[in-house]
This record gives sequence, structure tokens and C-alpha cells, in this order.
Amino acid sequence: MLRKFIVYGAYHLKSSERYKRTKVFFYNLLENQGSRAKSYFDVMMIGLIVLSIFFLLYDVEHEASPMGGYFEQAILVIFACEYLLRLWVYSDSHLIILEEHEKAQYLNIRFSMYRALKKAIARKLEYILSPFAVIDLLAILPSYRPLRILRVFLVFRLFKLFRYSNSAKLFSDILATKRYELLTLMVFTGFLIFIATVSVYVFEHPEPDSKIKTLFDAMYWAIVTLATVGYGDIIPHTIGGRLVAIILILTSLGILSFFTSILIAAFNEKMPLLRENRTYAELERYQEFIIICGYGRVGHEIARQLSQDGQKFIIIDRKEHNINLAKQQGYLTIHNDASRNDVLLSAGICRGASTVLCITGDDVTNVYVTLTSRHLNKNIRVISRANLHENINKLYQAGADHVIRPFEIAGMLAAEFLGQPVAFEAISGILHNQTEIVMETILVSEGSWLIDQPLSRVELTGQKLTLLGVISANPIHFKHKNKYQVKQQHFYFNPEAKFILRQDDILVILGRKFGIDHFRDQIERHRLLTGRQA
Amino acid sequence: MKRVAIFGYNPMSYEAISRIDQARYQLVVLDHNPAHIELAHENGFETALADFRSDDDLRAVGIGRDIDTLFCFFEEDSQNVFLTLSARALDAELKIIAIVYSPESAEKLRVAGANKLIDPYEICARKIHDMLKRPDISDIFDHAVFGRHDLNLAEVVIPDDSYLIGQCVSQLQLSSQYNLILIGIVNQRRAEPLRFVVEDTHCELVKGDILVILGPEREIRAFKQDVENEFNDIEA
Repeated sequence: MLRKFIVYGAYHLKSSERYKRTKVFFYNLLENQGSRAKSYFDVMMIGLIVLSIFFLLYDVEHEASPMGGYFEQAILVIFACEYLLRLWVYSDSHLIILEEHEKAQYLNIRFSMYRALKKAIARKLEYILSPFAVIDLLAILPSYRPLRILRVFLVFRLFKLFRYSNSAKLFSDILATKRYELLTLMVFTGFLIFIATVSVYVFEHPEPDSKIKTLFDAMYWAIVTLATVGYGDIIPHTIGGRLVAIILILTSLGILSFFTSILIAAFNEKMPLLRENRTYAELERYQEFIIICGYGRVGHEIARQLSQDGQKFIIIDRKEHNINLAKQQGYLTIHNDASRNDVLLSAGICRGASTVLCITGDDVTNVYVTLTSRHLNKNIRVISRANLHENINKLYQAGADHVIRPFEIAGMLAAEFLGQPVAFEAISGILHNQTEIVMETILVSEGSWLIDQPLSRVELTGQKLTLLGVISANPIHFKHKNKYQVKQQHFYFNPEAKFILRQDDILVILGRKFGIDHFRDQIERHRLLTGRQA
Repeated sequence: MKRVAIFGYNPMSYEAISRIDQARYQLVVLDHNPAHIELAHENGFETALADFRSDDDLRAVGIGRDIDTLFCFFEEDSQNVFLTLSARALDAELKIIAIVYSPESAEKLRVAGANKLIDPYEICARKIHDMLKRPDISDIFDHAVFGRHDLNLAEVVIPDDSYLIGQCVSQLQLSSQYNLILIGIVNQRRAEPLRFVVEDTHCELVKGDILVILGPEREIRAFKQDVENEFNDIEA
């Protein structure tokens, strides 16, 4: 009966959306490294721990205050909740039970509740015994009154701090890479301490005024000397003892420098990797960022403009020189070959990136990167640079959405400049935001008052704005003249006053930046007002 | 007919040449590399073999005499600088348009006497940036204005003795009369920056004003015609 009930409960949990949502929420809060909630939670917990330590120190010097007591209780509840939640999030017991149950049904044998529960509990125990969980528990237990004796373990709250930052893990990871060297050094140091302890004991112990009474004293002296600390509370008096000291000191210098060099080497080896990890971690937080492959002159210029806009991007380049230049500007970089799948994947081509720019000076690389990007992500926008005319079609075939030809554009502009230098300067000034006058688009969005209004009702000249035209995909406008096909849409140049705006039309407007912003504001305000009335 | 000399034959200059209105400008393609010259000749351009390092060659093609505009399309900044310098020495009035590849060379070219510098990389970067940030506007300019459609950008010089002088800009009624949009007015004699018409529709036209307009090619032509013919439409 009970067995049936448990299995039923497990199925119920599995099908429950709410249960799943709650669990995911707590997982994000407690364990998911990438989530924002976790970082806030971590900061809060660090604050609580520091506060609780503060109260502990206060209690050491003063009478225990009732306020401190309440606070202590509150912190304790939070810690306990955190511990239990972590335990809960760690594994899915109901899934383990169900798995066992289904396995039993499949094999047509009797379902053993005992086995399933044992398995589920074993998973939980696994968590309870993990180092961080032990520290967590030790940080909670001392406050339980009958266990006051465990107060020493309050210090574990301090260790709990490590949980909320990655530094401890990082440090141990780095040390782990030098395991062999460190072990060798430890063994050697151990022997040295043993030899020094025994010999100084043998030389010094018989002396009547010697402070080395026991073997432990001898070891204490040996370690203090080895560490080049040398308190001087115990000093050797005999010639033999002093000789031991001399040898120990000389050797320990070597050991210490060896130890330091191992640590430095380990950090040096790991640093680039760590930095890269930081880059990736930062990328995880971005949405809609741009991957720039190639940091040459073009890449340089684009990165400058994008960073002015506050647009997030990452630079991939194979050349160390280029990467260093990008780093100096403080951009996120990956020093690797952009045509490799794993490099693009770790740069987030399938997660968050909106556009890939293939703008190296080499068409072969551009084609290859374009192809790789398109292969990895069908929907991403790829803009590529073709340096030679014959490669334009290859880039389109490889899957580029736009192909830019720097030399042809430059040639075209040079020709344009020849004919009408004044007009050219004016329009390029506007296009590149070098003047106060800018050209911007305003979308007639859903619910906007502009919908179904003829242009004559839209007071643009009064606001010192010029309407250049309207972009629309709506076939209703086809009868108007001055229609220019732009991709799937049409651009209606200088539309007449009776032109009626429809939803999703885009107005192309020329004017001062704040004039356009003001116009936009008005549209929004109007929407809010009418929204309230309705 | 103005004469234009184009130094350096490569994809970039090819693009420029094919865009230049050959009815208004007489072009001559120059290069010191016979292979390039042959290629240009095959494409049907007027060509001449000339070494940019020799002043005699430059003089022989007409610099300092009947060439109005010089394009420096070499692929090396140093060559462009040298050519600019030599040409400027021969003719102080010559309009020189030079390609520049590295930002450091830009300053040198300007000192050497180039009137306009074109940096393909910078333009390319701007282009990509526009594509990312303002795809709609970028598309319009690509397809309609700089593309092969007939929507065009033009400048119209108001003649000194024109009846238009002293008239108010709004009286022109370019938008309804000609289907043109007046973007701004520049006066080169007064060396002032572009005045945008949006700002102030009541400003009067003065001598030396140049109107910057946007519109379909045939309307531009009609307007130009009318400006030359003393602008009778407005009166009527």
C-alpha cells in the first residue's frame, strides 16, 4: 500500500510543472554558475556571514545582547534553509525511484522499495559528505544549545565564504595541476624535517639548560627554522645543534624558492586559460552580441564604433599582434582560429550571438568562416567581406546574408564625390552621424496613433523634421508613385500628403537628434494616454 | 567637358570609372605597369602608359594643363603620396582625390595636397556598422541612392544673376512641384557648413548657394533646367 502511494507521489511530482519550476528556480539561485540570481544570492550570503562573524566578535568582548541573539537565530534559519534546499536540489529522488520502478516493471520482477530508497538516499548522502556540505553543516550546528561546545566550529562560517566565490576552487585547481612537483617537494621536506628533528633532539636534549625537552619541541624548532621564521624561543646551544641549524637553513632557502617557483609557474601556465574562461563567463551574460572574426583595420574601426554604441561584441583573431591590440582597448577577445567549430561555439554562435562578421583581409578565410558559421547556426546573420570581385558569389553560396566589398564601395564613393562633392559631404556627414542632423527611422507600431492617418495630419514640418520617405511591405501602397524596391519592401520617396500610414510602415526622417527623439516620445505618450482612456 | 586622370588600375578604380558619368567627364586611365594598361585598354577605356615618378610623364598626360581632377588609386600609400605631391607642384588648382590605406598616411596625404581622402577600410567598417545599427536606412542608400535605381543625390548651383536670389527656400516648393527633397544649402564662397533646411525654412537664397537635393533623376534634371531658365514655373 505504502509502496503504491510512494510511486504514485513520484509520478505526480514528475508531471507537476510547478514542482519543476520551483526546483529550477532554486537551482538557478543556488548552484547555476551562469545565473544572475546566484550572484546576487552569493553577495547576500557573504554579507550575512560577515555580519554573523561581527556579532560573534562582539559577544567575545561584551555581554551577549538580545538583538544579537535574534539575529543569530535568523541567520541560522537562513543557513539551515539553504542547506536543506541544496540537499533537495542536488538530486531528484522521485526520478530515481521511478527509474527503479520502471526497470522492475520492464524486467517483470518485484519492485523493491528498499533498493530504490537506498539508492535515492545514497545520492543525498553523497552530497552531505561533500566538503562544502560538511562545512555548511558545521556552520549551523554550533548554535544548537546542547552542542555549545562546538562553538569552535563557528569559524567554519568563515570557510563558508569560499563557497560563494570561485577563488578557492581556482586556487586548488591550479595547485592540482602541479600535483607531482608539489608531492615530490613535500616528501623531501618531510624527510628534511624528520632528519633535523631527530638530530637536533640527539644533540640538544642531553644539555641541562636546553629548552628541547621532547621530540615535539625538536620538531617545532625544525619547522620554525625551515620556514625561515626563526622565533628564537628555542635556540641550539651545542656545536652539533648549530651545525644542524646551518644545514637546515641553507636547505630550506632552496625548498622555499622551489615552492614559490612551482606556484608561479602553475599560475603562469593557467592564467591565459583563466582569462579565457572569464571571457566566456562574461559572454554568457550577453544577449544579442556580435562576433567579429578578424581584427585588422576594418575590425578595428567597427569595434570602435560598436563600443561607442554600447553594443557587446567579441573579437576572434589568429594573430597575436591583433589580439594584443584589441586587448589594449579592453575588448573581449579569443586568440584562436575562427574557422574552427569549437572556437565559434565557445564564442556563443548558437547562444546569444546575433551576427557574425567575417572581415579578415583574406577571402579564403572569410569564405571558410562564413561556411562554418552558417553550418553551426542556420538563423544567424552573417556579414562577410569580399576583397576580390570574383569571390562575392562564393560568399553568398557559403551562406552570407550580406557581402561587403570595401574596394568597390570606396571606388563608388570616389566617383560619387567627383560629380557632386558638396552633396556627397553633406549626405556622408548625415549618414555617419558627424553632423547634428541625423537620419532615423520610426516604426508605426501596433496601437500607434499614426495608423490610418494621412501624412498631412502628421505635423512633421512644425517639428522641424523632414520626411524622406516611407518603407513598407504593405501592398496597399502600391498605387503610389516613386516606389523603389528595397529587398522585400518598397521605399516610397517623398510620399504625397494623402499617403495613409499603415501598421508596420517605417518613416525615414531627417532632423536633429533630439527633435526625432521628441517626436518618438510624443508617439509613445499618445499611446499611453489613449491606452488609459480605453 | 572636364578631364579626369585616374592613376592606378585595379578593382577599386574600375568600380569608380564605371560609375563616373562618361558623358560629362573625359577619363584617362594611367599606370606605370604595362599589364594593367593593357587590361584597362581591353575594357575599353582611354589609356596611357605613364610613370608617376616622372614629372615629364605627368605633364605629358596633361596635368597642369587640361586635367581638372586626379584620382590616386595606387595600392601603396607611399606611391599615392608621391603622386599627390608631384601633381600639386605642377598644378595648384588641381582637384586631387586619393585613396589612403593606413591612418598614418592620411595626414601625409593631406600635407602633400590631396583635397579628398578615401579610406576603403573605414568606409567598409562604417558600412557594416550601418548594416548592424540602421539596416533600413543602409538598404535605402544602397539600393536607391548609390545603387542603380534612379533616385539620386545632386547639387544645384544657383547662378549669380538668377531671379531666385533673395527668394525664400519654402517658396521653391520643391517637394510638391518637383517631387524633390531639399536637404540643405551650402555656400562655398562664405565657406560655411551645410545649413539644413529643416531648421529654418525661411532663409533666403544668396549668391553662391548650392542646393543639395535628393530625388529621381528626371526631376533633378527638370529642376536644373528650370533653374538655368530663370525658374519660370514658380512665377506661373
